[in-house]
Amino acid sequence: MHIIGKGIMRKDSLEKVTGHAKYTADFESKKMLYGRLVTSPHAHANIKQIDTSSAEKINGIRAIITGENLPLTGEEMKDRYPIAKERVRYYGEVVAVVVADTPFQAMQAAEAIKVNYEFLPVVNSPSEALKADAPLLHPDLENYEKINMVYPVPGTNIASKTKIRKGNLEKGWQESEVIVEEAFAFRPSDHAAMETRAVFAQIHPDGMIELTASSQAPFMIKRLIADYFNVELGRIIVNTPLVGGAFGGKASVQLELLAYLATKAVNGRLVKIVNEREEDMVTSPGHIGLEAQVKLGCTKEGILKAAEILFLWDGGAYSDKAIDLSRAGAVDCTGPYHIDNIWCDSLCMYTNHPFPAPFRGFSHSEVHFAFERTMDVLAQKLNMDPLELRARNAILPGHTTPTQVVLNSSTVGNLPECIRKLKMLLNWEEGQVIDVGPNKVRAKGVSCVWKTSTIDPDASSGVILTFNKDGSINLISGVVEIGTATKTVLAQILAEKLKMDINEIHVQMGVNTQSTPEHWKTVASRGTFMAGRAVLTAAEDVIKQLKSLASFLLRASTEDLEVGYGKVYVREEPKQYIPIKEIAYGYSFPEGLSIGGQMIGRGTYILRGMTHLDKETGAGRPGPEWTVGAEGVEIELNTRDYTYRVLKAVAVIDVGKVLNEKTALGQVKGSMSMGLSFAARETFRFDREGRVLNPQLRTYRPLRFGEHPKYEAAFVETPHLDAPYGARGVGEHALIGMPAALGNSLSTALSVKINYLPMIPEVLWKMKERGK
Amino acid sequence: MLAFNLEYYKPKTIEEAVECFFLLKKENKRAIYYSGGTEILTLGRLNLLQMDAVIDIKSISECLEFNFEHNQLIAGAALSLTYIEERNYFPLLSTVAKEVADHTARNKITLGGNVCGQIFYREAVLPFLLCDSNVVIAGEGGKETASIHQIFNGAFQLEEGQFLIQLLTDQEYITMPFASLKKRQQWETGYPLITVSSIKVDNRLRFAFSGLCSFPFRSTEMEDALNQANKSLHIRIQQAIDHIPAQVLDDIEGSREYRLFVLRNTLEEIITELEGEG
Repeated sequence: MHIIGKGIMRKDSLEKVTGHAKYTADFESKKMLYGRLVTSPHAHANIKQIDTSSAEKINGIRAIITGENLPLTGEEMKDRYPIAKERVRYYGEVVAVVVADTPFQAMQAAEAIKVNYEFLPVVNSPSEALKADAPLLHPDLENYEKINMVYPVPGTNIASKTKIRKGNLEKGWQESEVIVEEAFAFRPSDHAAMETRAVFAQIHPDGMIELTASSQAPFMIKRLIADYFNVELGRIIVNTPLVGGAFGGKASVQLELLAYLATKAVNGRLVKIVNEREEDMVTSPGHIGLEAQVKLGCTKEGILKAAEILFLWDGGAYSDKAIDLSRAGAVDCTGPYHIDNIWCDSLCMYTNHPFPAPFRGFSHSEVHFAFERTMDVLAQKLNMDPLELRARNAILPGHTTPTQVVLNSSTVGNLPECIRKLKMLLNWEEGQVIDVGPNKVRAKGVSCVWKTSTIDPDASSGVILTFNKDGSINLISGVVEIGTATKTVLAQILAEKLKMDINEIHVQMGVNTQSTPEHWKTVASRGTFMAGRAVLTAAEDVIKQLKSLASFLLRASTEDLEVGYGKVYVREEPKQYIPIKEIAYGYSFPEGLSIGGQMIGRGTYILRGMTHLDKETGAGRPGPEWTVGAEGVEIELNTRDYTYRVLKAVAVIDVGKVLNEKTALGQVKGSMSMGLSFAARETFRFDREGRVLNPQLRTYRPLRFGEHPKYEAAFVETPHLDAPYGARGVGEHALIGMPAALGNSLSTALSVKINYLPMIPEVLWKMKERGK
Repeated sequence: MLAFNLEYYKPKTIEEAVECFFLLKKENKRAIYYSGGTEILTLGRLNLLQMDAVIDIKSISECLEFNFEHNQLIAGAALSLTYIEERNYFPLLSTVAKEVADHTARNKITLGGNVCGQIFYREAVLPFLLCDSNVVIAGEGGKETASIHQIFNGAFQLEEGQFLIQLLTDQEYITMPFASLKKRQQWETGYPLITVSSIKVDNRLRFAFSGLCSFPFRSTEMEDALNQANKSLHIRIQQAIDHIPAQVLDDIEGSREYRLFVLRNTLEEIITELEGEG
C-alpha cells in the first residue's frame, strides 16, 4: 500500500495554522441581525410573567420571542420547548430570544427583559429524582411523542429505562465465590470546545430556509427542523464550515432551532446567534452525570460469573440525547469481558440540571469508570494482579456481549494482545506501587475498554467524486471536519484505491446539505468507516467509467485494463495507456467530435445488520464492530498532602488498521488528555438550588498546556473486515479508560476507594481521612 | 461585549486624571480608573461591574516606573505582570505574579489592577504587605504617600477619585530570604485555594495570605504564633490558625476544612524551608 498508514499532513492544516480558516462566527454581513438569549437564573421555577416593555423601547430591536405557540422538540422523545413555556427546568434554560440590528442592542434588550419567577423545589441528582416523593419534572410524560426503544415510566422522573437481561443472575450468584459491590457518582460537566456554538439563518423569498451552523449534524438539523416545524425537507439547506472542536456537543440540535425561530420572527432576514461561553456551557447541552452501582461475582480463580448493574443517569431537564446515552451505556455495561449472567437497569433520570449532549465516548468512559474500578476492587479481594483478572475474562471471538451479539475476530479484535502490549509499555512487572519517598509513591492503574457505536440502524453515508480537467479529483463527503482529520484520511483511502498522488485529490471541507451527499452525523467514530466505504464504492464507480471509456480507445476489454498513476493502462502492456486527464472530462477526437463529459463517481454506504434492542432483555445488535483496548496511567502521589501528578498515560488500541499514523496518534493522545481532564478536574459545581456555580473557564478548568503527562500510544491491528482496509473507529476509545485507570492508580496508592470524579486532592483527602 | 456604553479618557498626567474623574462626577457619571482592563471586561460583560467612563492611566509616566531610586524600588501601578516577571527586580513579587491567571492574561493584568481589583485574591499585594511598602496615591488633594498598612485593609481603602500610582519598597527587603506557595484545587491552573508568602526579616518570619479568607491579609497575631521558637511546629501552626482574622473560605475551590488542611501543610513547608536558612 502506497499511502495507507502514512502520516501525511492534514488537508486543513495550512488554513488552520495560518489563521485563515473560517468558522461559523467569522462570517459577517451588513444585512445581518443578531440574536441574543435571555436565560433562566433558576434551576426550577414557574414563569409568572415576562416583561418585555422596556426592552422593546430600545433602538434597533426587531423581535422578542418567548415560548408561546412552539412545538415540543427532542430527538428521541419530544419533551422540550425550544424556548421555555410556563416553567423553567434548569439553570440557563432559554426563556426569550431578542433579535436586534447589532449585538450590542440585542444584549441591552436582553438585559432589559424582566422575568418574574415562582420557585419550585429542585431535583438536584438522579437518586433524588428516583425518590417516591420527588417533584415530578414532566407530569405529561405519558403523552410525549417518542420513537422506538424509548420506555418512559409515567408518574416518575424516569425518562426511559433500558434493561439488559442475559443468562440467569441467580445461577451467576450461586457460582460466585467472591462478590464485591461498589457505588460511584459524578456530576454533569461540559465539552469545553474552543469554538462556542454559532449559527446564522435566513428564509429566502422563495421560502428556502438556509442555516449555517457549527455542528456535527447538518443533515440532522435539516431533518429535525422539517419535523418539528412542519417544513418540507427539500426547502432546508444547512451549511457547515470548519468546526472548532465538537466532542459530541455539537451533535445535538438546539441553538439552530432558535436561529430558525429568530429569522422567522423577522420575515426571514439573516439572524446570527453566537453562544457566550456561559451559554455554551449550561444552556446548550453538556456532558452527562451518573450514579452507578456495580455488583460483581466470580470464582476463586477470578472467572466472572455475574454482574448486576444499576445506572442512574443525570439526564437533566430534557431527555433529547440522554435516552440514547443511557441506552449506549447499557449496551457495553460490563467492559470488555465475557460474562454469562448480566442484569442491568439503565435509567435515564430527569433532574433540574442542564441536559446532556453526547460526549466523546458516548457513555463509555462513564460506565467504564464504574465497572473497571469495581474490577480492581474484585482483583484486590481475590489478591490477584488486576491485569491478570482482566486477561482471564477478556472478551474473545465466540463470546457474547451483554446484548447477546455473538462476536468474531472481525467484530471484536484482540484484547489479550492489547493487554500484553500494555504490560510492556507500563513496565508492569516492576510492580504497581513503588515507594520513592519521602511521602511519595509512584503507582500504576489500568483499565480495559471497549466500545461499539450505537447509531441508527439506517444511518448512511454518501460520497461524490468529480473530476477536474487535469485529472485531479474533488472529494465531496457529508462528514464535517471537526478536527479529526477524517477528510484527509478519506483522501488517503481514495489515493490508495486509485493509485494516485494525494495532492491531486481536493477535499471539500465544508458541507452544504443541498449539494453534499448525506453523512448521517459526524459522530461515534463512524466517519472513516462509513464515508470510507462510500469512497471505495465511488472509486469503483469511477474506475468502471474510466475503463469503459478507455476500453475502445485502447482497443482492449475493460477486464484487461487497470487504473492507476494517472492512467488507464493495459495490465499486460502498461505502455499502452491513456492519461486519465484526457478522458476525465470526456474524450475529444482530433476532428473535434467528443464523447463522455465530466466524469462523476458516486458511492453510498448503509450500515449492515443493525437491529433494535428487545425491550425486556436488551437483546439485539446495536453496532457493527467493537474497538477494544487496554490503558494505563502512572502517577506520583504525595501521601502527605494528596497532591499528585500524572507522569504517563498509555493506550493500546486495536484499531484494525492504522490509516494515518500521525492523525491516529493525535486522536489517541487527544482523547487520553480529554479523559484525564474529565477524570481529574472537570465538573459542574451546583448549589443546593441547582444553579451551576462555575459556568466559566476561570472556574471550570480543562487541562491546560503544561499540565499534560507523557502520552504513549500503541496499536494492535486486527482487521474489521467490513471497514476500509480493516480500520476500526479510534476517535474516542483512548478517552474511555482514563478515568478508571486514574482512579485505580490513586486507589491503589492510597489503599482507599476513590469512586468519585473529579479526583482532585480534596476528594482523595476526604476519602482517606474518613477512613482514619 | 459590555451591555452599556462608556466614555474613554486617556490623560497624560496625574492631575489630568483626577480632574477628569471629578468633571465626570459633576455630570453624574461613574468613572473608574483603568489600566489592563481584564476585570472591567470580564465582570462588565456579566453586568457585575458598571460604569459610565473609564480613565486609562497607562499614559501617566509615574504609573509605568519600575526602577530603584534612593534605595527604594518604585513599582508603577500600570506595569503588566509579565513585565514585572521579566525584569525580575523583586524576586518575591515575580514569584507571586507569575502564578496569577495565565501568561496571556498577565500581559494585560497590571500590578495596580490586580491589587485594587474586585476579584478578591489580589495576590500581588502580598509581597508589599510583607515588606512594609509605601503606597503613592493621587486624589483631589494631590499626591500622597502612606504606609500600605494604613491604607490596605483587605482591599485598598481609597477615597472617591483616588487611584494608586506606585508601590515603594525598601531595597533591603528585596534581598531577604523568601518563600511563596500557591496551592490550587488541582495542578497548575486556577485561583488559589490558598497562597502563602513569607519573608525572613531579622530572623523573624512574616506571613501574608490570599485565598484563605475573602481578602488578602498579613496578620501579626499569626506571625507571633508562628515565630514562637520554643514551641513545636504543630502548636505554632495551630495557634496561628486560631488567630485567622476572619472566617475561612468555603467555596467551589475547596471546603473550609480542606483549606485548613492545606494551610497546615503549606505553613510547615515554608517554615521548614526558611528556618533552615541562615
